[in-house]
Amino acid sequence: MKIKKELIKREIAGDTILIPIGKTIADSSGLFLLNEQGAFLWDIIPAAETEEELTEALLTEYEVDRETAEKDVREFLDRLREMSIL
Amino acid sequence: MTINREEPIFSTYLHEKGARFGIPISGNFELTAGCNFRCPMCYVREDSASCREKELTTAQWLGLAEEAVRQGMVFALLTGGEPLIRRDFFEILRGMKRLGLLVTINTNGSLIDREAAMRFAEDPPLRVNISLYGTEDSTYLRMCGQPCREKVLDGIRLLKQAGIDVRLNVSLTEENADDFDGILRTARELGVHIKASAYMYPPVRVGKDAASSCRLDPDRAAALTVAYDRFRLSEESFRLRAGRMKEIARRTDGAAAGLSKREKKCRAGRTGFWITWDGRMLPCGLMTAPVAYPLKVGFTAAWEQIKRETARITLPDGCRSCPKRDACFICAAICSAETGGYRRSPEYVCRMTESVMHRMADAAACGVTQRENAEETR
Repeated sequence: MKIKKELIKREIAGDTILIPIGKTIADSSGLFLLNEQGAFLWDIIPAAETEEELTEALLTEYEVDRETAEKDVREFLDRLREMSIL
Repeated sequence: MTINREEPIFSTYLHEKGARFGIPISGNFELTAGCNFRCPMCYVREDSASCREKELTTAQWLGLAEEAVRQGMVFALLTGGEPLIRRDFFEILRGMKRLGLLVTINTNGSLIDREAAMRFAEDPPLRVNISLYGTEDSTYLRMCGQPCREKVLDGIRLLKQAGIDVRLNVSLTEENADDFDGILRTARELGVHIKASAYMYPPVRVGKDAASSCRLDPDRAAALTVAYDRFRLSEESFRLRAGRMKEIARRTDGAAAGLSKREKKCRAGRTGFWITWDGRMLPCGLMTAPVAYPLKVGFTAAWEQIKRETARITLPDGCRSCPKRDACFICAAICSAETGGYRRSPEYVCRMTESVMHRMADAAACGVTQRENAEETR
């Protein structure tokens, strides 16, 4: 999966934020706050080809049931697509 | 799973969190003391060639920024002097963005030609703040020593065309107060936000006093402050603010208030720092102390020192027990610039606050109507 925007992931006081750099800032005008699972997914998105791969990774890393993991991954990817990040 | 994108709220959130953990969330980098303008209230500009030699290099600025980012810095303001007179300005901007900083620029706008606008478009900052000193060449000549009106307005238009977020910063003095209506009109026509201030700090950093800054008398400054509030606030917000001021004015008719334990906390020295053109770290660019030297001791040690020494500053008892304190804009930088320390309350600020308070109370008493200009400032 390809991340279209130039964003840097940073850890600030226990929070994970995405900061737009390059030209991205002109159409973002803000920061993105990721929760723990979002930060985990963000790191593996570029190497993943399918949603299922992300779900499997989430199931391996966190104690969640498959249904919840699938829902979380779908919602996260939908949000990224809405913001034209993915 | 959540993902939010609300920059102003996020900025507040990060600063609040930064205050708890002592993180330098925002920093101001004063890239140069040089400027092509000659404004009387400037607290930075130095002319001598030796000053230019003492300015930090590109590598030094980027090195400091890198250290600050490791400590959690998120927001950077590039200011001056006039930062665009540096030949490496865009290199510094690009470098800081690559470190993961959200960068805002302060500029007088006179050096933004097509090429500069193109470079900003290639590597956009979060925002460019342009100091607009007037809408007539005659105002520019009086204030800045150069008839630059068109150049500045062109600069604003070019940036807007390039998709850059622009805000106008307006400093009001004897030299341009009469042009305030025009400035507000211009902001509206250009469709840009405006931040105006009629309070001018005595430029103590360059060894000048308040009188040499051409600042307004406190009553006139108060009138312009109220006019600006009418312009920027919705009718409802202005009415609420006027009501609050009326209530404070009513309370101040009684006895003095008890000593407040709650100091007004600004971000300087808590989550924010300032590095001067010659490499000194201050809590705020309007202050002369406390001072640390990050190029000698490293950014982290300098930041720790600034935090420690800023925490010891308390406002004068007269301010902390003042019944008008909720209407007042006093801060440590103002107190030290006005009085040379923290023992006396600054008379100019007291007079300006009283005038603002009574003007707002009058507005509340008369019923408030939104005005389209600053007609009551005369």
